[in-house]
Amino acid sequence: MVDSQSPTPGEITIMVAGAVMLIFSFLHFGGSRNSWQSPFFPIATLLPLYGLLMALQIVLTRFASVKLPRSVAGFTWEQIQLALGSMAALMAIGFLMTDYGDKQIGEWFEIVGGIALVVGAVLLQRERGTGAIG
Amino acid sequence: MDKVKLSAGNLTILIAGVVILIASFLAFDKISLPSFDEGGIHIGGGTHSFSAWSSHYFLIATIPALLGVVMALHVALVAFAPQVSMPGSVLGFSWNQVHLILAGQATIMMIAFLIQDRGLDRGIGLYLMLLAAIALLIGAILRIQERGSAPPLG
Repeated sequence: MVDSQSPTPGEITIMVAGAVMLIFSFLHFGGSRNSWQSPFFPIATLLPLYGLLMALQIVLTRFASVKLPRSVAGFTWEQIQLALGSMAALMAIGFLMTDYGDKQIGEWFEIVGGIALVVGAVLLQRERGTGAIG
Repeated sequence: MDKVKLSAGNLTILIAGVVILIASFLAFDKISLPSFDEGGIHIGGGTHSFSAWSSHYFLIATIPALLGVVMALHVALVAFAPQVSMPGSVLGFSWNQVHLILAGQATIMMIAFLIQDRGLDRGIGLYLMLLAAIALLIGAILRIQERGSAPPLG
């Protein structure tokens, strides 16, 4: 049985990815500009924001015992994690295939982080037995 | 041939999906080129535009259009090709939820592109894509509301 206080692999993946994406969003995304600066803000800022939202939901409910509503607009939290993770991965692929010139360290970590978010969200489905995947 | 009656939500999605695809080929950004006179000869001038499919824009700016096409395609297949069997849900999401997610993402991205300072003038394509994305979101919400009054298509 899973210890209620020890995070699962899916939760760890999302928390780490969210934290890494937020930190690296302040490093160079393209040229000498980060994702919070023009010309990349706010389209390139969406990825770290999605990661932050996903990680925050895990941290708040797992470690801060914050009681969130069971669902939001008809979506369970596992579904919200999967939706945000999928859209983050889609944008990551979008940035990977977009020619912005030389990709900098910040952009690479956003891309990898976006993929990690959907991996974490998929793991979360399996761990919590939602039946959505596998 | 039986007439297919689309609900308001599905019709909105179908039209918006077509509009966002067409708009993606129009000017997303444009730049006015400077002109000057040299020895009595007029040189330069005019405008150059970039669509969502242009280099530096593809694939990130094309995503909202692709999301709209997926939504419209689903509506069209369910309405006009009933022989095509669709799964009842996708990864645990109902089709209404899928439409809401895709339309929400398209709208968020288009608002981000509107705010983004790329140092270029915004083109008609960007504005049309933004309006179509908002229409997709309205259509997705309508689909959910229609569920109570009439069975939605798909």
